[in-house]
Amino acid sequence: MTSIGGAYHDGQQLLELLAVVSECSDEESAAYAAVERAARALDAEVAAVVIDDEVVAVVGFPAGRVPEDDLVSVANRELDNVDVPGVGRCDAISADWGGGRPGHLVLARWSDQGFSVEERNIVRGMARLLELALTMLRTLQAEHEMRERSDRQAAENAELLASLQQRQRLLEHLFDVQRAISRRRPLPQVLDMIAAAARQLLGDGAVGLWLRDDSDPQQISLVAGAGLAIDTDLETPTMPLSEAGTVGAAIMSGGVVVCEDDSADGIASMAAPVHDSGTITGGLVVMAEREGRVYAPPEVQMLQSFAEHVSLALTDANTVDRMHQAFHDSVTGLASRSLFLDRLSHQLELTGHGGTRVALLFIDLDRFKAINDTLGHAAGDTLLTITADRIVAQLRDSDVAARFGGDEFAVMLQNVSTPVDAAKVADRILRGLHEPMRIAGRQLQVNASIGIALSTHGMTDPAALVRRADIAMYRAKRNGRGRYDVFADEMLLAFTDGETQH
Amino acid sequence: MNMDARPDGRRWMGVGQSSTTEPRTAAAQAARSALSRSDSAGTDPKLLIVFSAITYDPALVRAGVRDVVGRDVPVIGCTTRGEICNGGANDGTVVVAAIGGPGFAVTTAAAEDVRGRQREAGVELGQSVTEIPGLPHRVLVLLTDGLVREQEQIVRGCYSVLGASVPLFGGSGADGWRMKQAYLLCGDRVLTNAVVAATIHSEAPLSVGVRHGFRTVGEPMIVTGSQDGRIQTVDDRPALDVYLERLGAPPEAYRDKEALMRFALPRPLGLQRRNGVDARNVSTQIDLEGRSLGGGGNFDHGGLVWAMTGDEQSILAATDAACQEALAGLGGREPVGLLTISCAAIRAILDDDALRRDNARLAKWAEQAPFAGFYAYGEIARARGIHGFHNQTLTVLALG
Repeated sequence: MTSIGGAYHDGQQLLELLAVVSECSDEESAAYAAVERAARALDAEVAAVVIDDEVVAVVGFPAGRVPEDDLVSVANRELDNVDVPGVGRCDAISADWGGGRPGHLVLARWSDQGFSVEERNIVRGMARLLELALTMLRTLQAEHEMRERSDRQAAENAELLASLQQRQRLLEHLFDVQRAISRRRPLPQVLDMIAAAARQLLGDGAVGLWLRDDSDPQQISLVAGAGLAIDTDLETPTMPLSEAGTVGAAIMSGGVVVCEDDSADGIASMAAPVHDSGTITGGLVVMAEREGRVYAPPEVQMLQSFAEHVSLALTDANTVDRMHQAFHDSVTGLASRSLFLDRLSHQLELTGHGGTRVALLFIDLDRFKAINDTLGHAAGDTLLTITADRIVAQLRDSDVAARFGGDEFAVMLQNVSTPVDAAKVADRILRGLHEPMRIAGRQLQVNASIGIALSTHGMTDPAALVRRADIAMYRAKRNGRGRYDVFADEMLLAFTDGETQH
Repeated sequence: MNMDARPDGRRWMGVGQSSTTEPRTAAAQAARSALSRSDSAGTDPKLLIVFSAITYDPALVRAGVRDVVGRDVPVIGCTTRGEICNGGANDGTVVVAAIGGPGFAVTTAAAEDVRGRQREAGVELGQSVTEIPGLPHRVLVLLTDGLVREQEQIVRGCYSVLGASVPLFGGSGADGWRMKQAYLLCGDRVLTNAVVAATIHSEAPLSVGVRHGFRTVGEPMIVTGSQDGRIQTVDDRPALDVYLERLGAPPEAYRDKEALMRFALPRPLGLQRRNGVDARNVSTQIDLEGRSLGGGGNFDHGGLVWAMTGDEQSILAATDAACQEALAGLGGREPVGLLTISCAAIRAILDDDALRRDNARLAKWAEQAPFAGFYAYGEIARARGIHGFHNQTLTVLALG
């Protein structure tokens, strides 16, 4: 699990880097905050920002003993290691950015294995975000200086002022987007928000975000947009990548594509690629409203900024999805068997010495196989989902429900005093499940059999409790289905004597 | 036995402990004992480190130590939530560790009035570290006032000056869980709201190890709301409630401050990092009304956190791992001694018998060498990377 947590951690580090840097008021302190954050994120000893062959911020060396030449060489790919006092020779990597003031983010770490591909990706992501943040700070600083000049001079620079104000708006929009991502707002909402901000700031007719299809990477689908004639919530147009014009070219080339003289309809457009976990997965495209539209370099950069934020949102959302999948059943969303046993094991440990007990309900649907066989897997999945919802509806927040596979479910009830407490919950679950369900156009009624077992003093093995509940469940099935039975020691004897089938 | 690996007599460490009620006498007894127990009979002492129960008047403890060694011998120290040394009681005592011999040299420094300028204080102490020809190995030992917040900034300040060139080790002075006032000793002064430091220079390696003894429970949670470094919500629900549910807390922990503190103390919140999970103590900054969680440093929005739990077995395993890590850095030499700083919160998991077993584990790793330390409100250990302030850990400094 640590690897999934680690991947999540990486994505989170990008957002935190931006958050930390955006609190700074000047480039110098922002660069220093960024190197500290980058070193922390990668567990590295050294981090540095190199701009114009000069080290503008560095951490990891004793004061006055920074090997500036070596760091510049690493930035320029002439060196792949650096000697760090107190540590020795460390692997070093660099990620670059272009734009108006090109620079490099350099990391060095003592390790047996060097930097992984994922780590190189995160350093690249940090470099791109750092460029964005430093550019904004520089612009804001210029704006601040300009405001301090006389009105007359400011008026002469009206055009520059307007562009700076637009930058300010960009900054505000991007911070809103960052907040939305880190607050885990739903992905479509975040993507629409980015598209709307891009459309507003670039003053263009329409903005669209196209993503490659999972099943066919040569096809792309429109997943979000602003100013479009269609509602992406209701329909998802697709087209072959090769016929996708500017956005297709951006996806295939991996860089920004500007098309100002489109002979087909005379409308200009530009597109930037978007990434998920470092891989190009789509493109963000803006289309002009009027003829003769020309895109200035700051506007190209602005589009790149928005595309970068789309990448952040996609990477983040997919990492969260992957993480969730690692712990939960994909059909019902309930806890997976392994997560359930982990929680159960902890709860047994906790209650082993105390007065309360843990109750385990083992639930088996009656007739699930018949429904699955006659109505199909999709109907079977719907039945499982409805069952899961109805089980959860009867539980407290502190209880845990899981799908053990097939038609088997398990529920852990915390802080139970007697079997009667658990039986009440089992009874409610049975009644809830017995309510008619609408599946595949039919009204169905299903039953379940529930086995109940309570932890005993000193019980620490979760498997022992599951086995007891399982035995009680078989007894319930044997006693007529649609009912619950509470485990008793004599069942164990009967079970080992051959009562295994229902 | 590889005789070459044994300490060569140029460096020694001795430890003494006293539980005598009168503070000055107790401190003097512990100091005398530390100086007499070493092979070299305490000749040429270079540093005395004092760990004193909060029940002793720190000024009298200082005076007691001075009764034994002159002003030319540097002294640092702090009050504790319990003292650690081989075979002794864990409460109500004074423990003194002494190091000396021509193979060691020590300089000390103090930063005062650190609240609100933690980072600057770290910079000052980093700047106090010098180099001494012939003594290539160094470690900066830091003892802080455990009631000052944002202690990671102190470590960050040190790192900004020293970089990776000097390992950092230490802990936050405690006050027996009263949460009112911890005290520090530096030379002839008793300080609060301060950090005291000793740079140990040595001919032989000095090596730091650190581990926490907690494991994650269930699946991770995402910090969906945070403010002022505290977690308001995880997975869009009140953080405190989700934490308690995950850990199956008894009903009283949801509403009673004392019960919640007792429950949370041995159950830290895990903060996902790149190569593992850091444990943070959330029992000291309780917020029953706002249902938020906090403690042990800032929590950022969007971060990944886990409910954690530990038991004697997992803590003893961490003791083993921390000692092994520290000893591995000595390059095959046997240690002259160990300094061991452990989190005060693990005392909620280990009862007196278990503490004795933990001590025995330390003794096993130290072999013939003495060890001394204390139970702290936070631990400092930076050997790799930039991160150096910890919660809920055991940190070990092995002196080669």
